[in-house]
Amino acid sequence: MSPATFDLLAAIAKIAVVWAITLAALLPNLVWMERRGAGLIQDRPGPNRVGPLGLFQALADVLKMFMKEDVTPLYVDKLLHTVAPAILLVPALTTFAVIPFGSSIPVLGREVKLVIADVNIGVLYVFALTSVGVYGLVLAGWASNNKYSLLGGLRSSAQIISYELSMGVSAVAVLVSAGSLRPSDVVAWQAANVWNCVPQVVGCIVFIVAAFAETNRVPFDLPEAEAELVAGYHTEYSAFKFGMFFMSEYANMIAASAMIVTLYFGGWSLPFVTFTGVWGGLLSMVVFWAKTLFFICVFIWVRWTLPRFRYDQLMNLGWKVLLPLSVLNLLVVAWIVATKGGA
Amino acid sequence: MTGDLLLFAFSAGLAIAFALAMVVQKTPVRSVLALVVTFFGMAVLAVMLAAPFIAAIIVIVYAGAILVLFLFVIMLLNLNEEAREKETRPVQRALGLVAALALGGLLLGVTLRAPAPPVGTPSAGPRIPLLDEIPVIGRLLFSDYLFAFEAVAVLLLAAAVGALILSKRRMD
Repeated sequence: MSPATFDLLAAIAKIAVVWAITLAALLPNLVWMERRGAGLIQDRPGPNRVGPLGLFQALADVLKMFMKEDVTPLYVDKLLHTVAPAILLVPALTTFAVIPFGSSIPVLGREVKLVIADVNIGVLYVFALTSVGVYGLVLAGWASNNKYSLLGGLRSSAQIISYELSMGVSAVAVLVSAGSLRPSDVVAWQAANVWNCVPQVVGCIVFIVAAFAETNRVPFDLPEAEAELVAGYHTEYSAFKFGMFFMSEYANMIAASAMIVTLYFGGWSLPFVTFTGVWGGLLSMVVFWAKTLFFICVFIWVRWTLPRFRYDQLMNLGWKVLLPLSVLNLLVVAWIVATKGGA
Repeated sequence: MTGDLLLFAFSAGLAIAFALAMVVQKTPVRSVLALVVTFFGMAVLAVMLAAPFIAAIIVIVYAGAILVLFLFVIMLLNLNEEAREKETRPVQRALGLVAALALGGLLLGVTLRAPAPPVGTPSAGPRIPLLDEIPVIGRLLFSDYLFAFEAVAVLLLAAAVGALILSKRRMD
């Protein structure tokens, strides 16, 4: 087999693995986890009728979304109304292209790195996709021709632009210490030294809080605040178009958790353990997804614990607390790296 | 090589077609979106020129920040349809056509005068490993172009402060 064919097949296999894990294994079960978790936290059973422990609830929900009538309101911008959910979903799913989900596996005498595209701008790519995802929310709000939707779309764009800054600045500190924008280098640096969450605890907290805002999760879910905006940007959506918004919220949650793990919690690495061979490679994958799942659980836990912020509180937190903190963190890290003589 | 050519034709065509759509489109929101697609086409071209960093910056800065703000403003102003002009403004139209032709002619002339690309397919040999351009750009920005870099930073800060003062004055 020529190297080019081998690379192509390896890439296809990696895409298949990642999408099988995120789309088939994680996404539907997250809905179940969220609803059962909500039940647990609020001291009620949660969905428990469909299948054992209500496990097939996700299946029933998906089926319902497929079978429902897809209502397109009369006064919407038809093209943009249809395209908006896709614009939101596609970036959410393509983020995984640059996230290393394992160390490497030897196949036919060659080491296959467990990352779909090991590019030198990986972290920037993720930020580019995040900023494209905003269009989905804004357009959904505008195209719906409904004031609640429009308010939701505007809120989401203002919120995401504000929090993207502190998220980016805290990520820059990680990149400075690793000396590279390549996610696999960041993970390798953490495996060789120490997980970034220890020396950069401030940046880590800022990044996690900003990730909550970027994914529109409680306590930052003002774009769809049901008490004020009906359902925000997806008020006028039904059936599978609504399902796509639903899916992209969970896909974004998985992607954000995977980024938190990659940048601050050592990616696929574990301290004092080296992964070698086929089993080591597979084990490193298990480690990565286990860490990711942990942060997804944190997302769910926070959602059912904290109340929603007010809009001015949200903006104050973003601009007056998180941004200065992340800049301070960056300055300290840059100073340490510079005095050490560069990474 | 044909794959590269196809990709180039596709992304360049996309960029040009949507740039045209941006101008012709009557709904301002759709114009902004057409411009976003144009920037994506340009980002693909930058990747093909072995400058993925520039591609990422185009998407993050232009598509992700500036155009979102455009969209924001257009939505807040609630401009739905551009009002049809009553008079046709014949002089401006003629002048615009002349200017467009002159600019197009200049660009065409420069392109035709450019030295011919090296003949032969580089794909025959082993692929040259891509230079990591990020450290290079960083070093240049903080050595040769330090003054320009700092001047732009100060300019942006001044603009931000100016915008704040203007909006504050209206509130008082």
